[in-house]
Amino acid sequence: MKVEYINPFIESVYDLFATMLDAEVQRGEIGVTSAGGNPREIMALIGLSGPARGTVAISFPAQTALAMVGKILGVDTRVVDDTVSDGIAEIVNIVAGSAKARLTQGGGTPIDLSLPTVVRGNSYSIDYPSQAVWLEVPFTSELGAFSLRVTFDFKSPQDRKEVG
Amino acid sequence: MKALVVDDSAVMRKVLIGALARADITDVGQAADGQEAVDAVKAGEYDIVLMDWNMPNMLGIDAVKAIREQGKTMPIIMVTTEAEKSRVVEALKAGANNYIIKPFEPATIVSKIQNVLGKGE
Repeated sequence: MKVEYINPFIESVYDLFATMLDAEVQRGEIGVTSAGGNPREIMALIGLSGPARGTVAISFPAQTALAMVGKILGVDTRVVDDTVSDGIAEIVNIVAGSAKARLTQGGGTPIDLSLPTVVRGNSYSIDYPSQAVWLEVPFTSELGAFSLRVTFDFKSPQDRKEVG
Repeated sequence: MKALVVDDSAVMRKVLIGALARADITDVGQAADGQEAVDAVKAGEYDIVLMDWNMPNMLGIDAVKAIREQGKTMPIIMVTTEAEKSRVVEALKAGANNYIIKPFEPATIVSKIQNVLGKGE
């Protein structure tokens, strides 16, 4: 996976904050992460398939998840429940969906998204395929900190267009 | 005026119901996938449908086709993360009247609802 492939996902996070969350967000340094490394309390994952295959994951402390879903709904949200999981799933769906269009903006077959999955809890690990290289970007925002992790690659060079 | 909001995310349905309220539409039905939407439209009369794309059981694009095959002509707005031009063209060919890409600003969705209902400025 090339480092520049993560840029469309970072842009999508900024778009989400500028539109539906109406809050400031800043990214940190891009790093390479290992499989189960230090997941936060809530993680939302979504798969990419078709011309590119991989996974996008966003992990949140509970307070960030509550603040983000509360902001989207316009209500004070204090308990991590099914509604918050639903909202977090929609957030990873929006980030991945917006990014996949940027990844194939030169045309070609659109990348398909799976339905999102949300994992909650204080003690879990996520094991990924051992050969996968994951890039991680930490973010800080008015609504709290969170991390974006992405691993994917194009199936063939013809599927790779200009990547922002 | 009655609307149907179709999205597998309950949070997104609430967001869209809020946008409809800002467009003075408060009589709103909900469906969590394409099949539920097709069944709802068959069972009742709706003046506008807001339709997600990626949902379990039946995709929104297939629901749009099925609704049009029923002979229903109400405006359908796709509200989806599917932002590729080819997806937009596919949806319009299937019978969607307009297309909103997530993420969106609340004002955008209100104005698009008003536009397809002929209430736009």
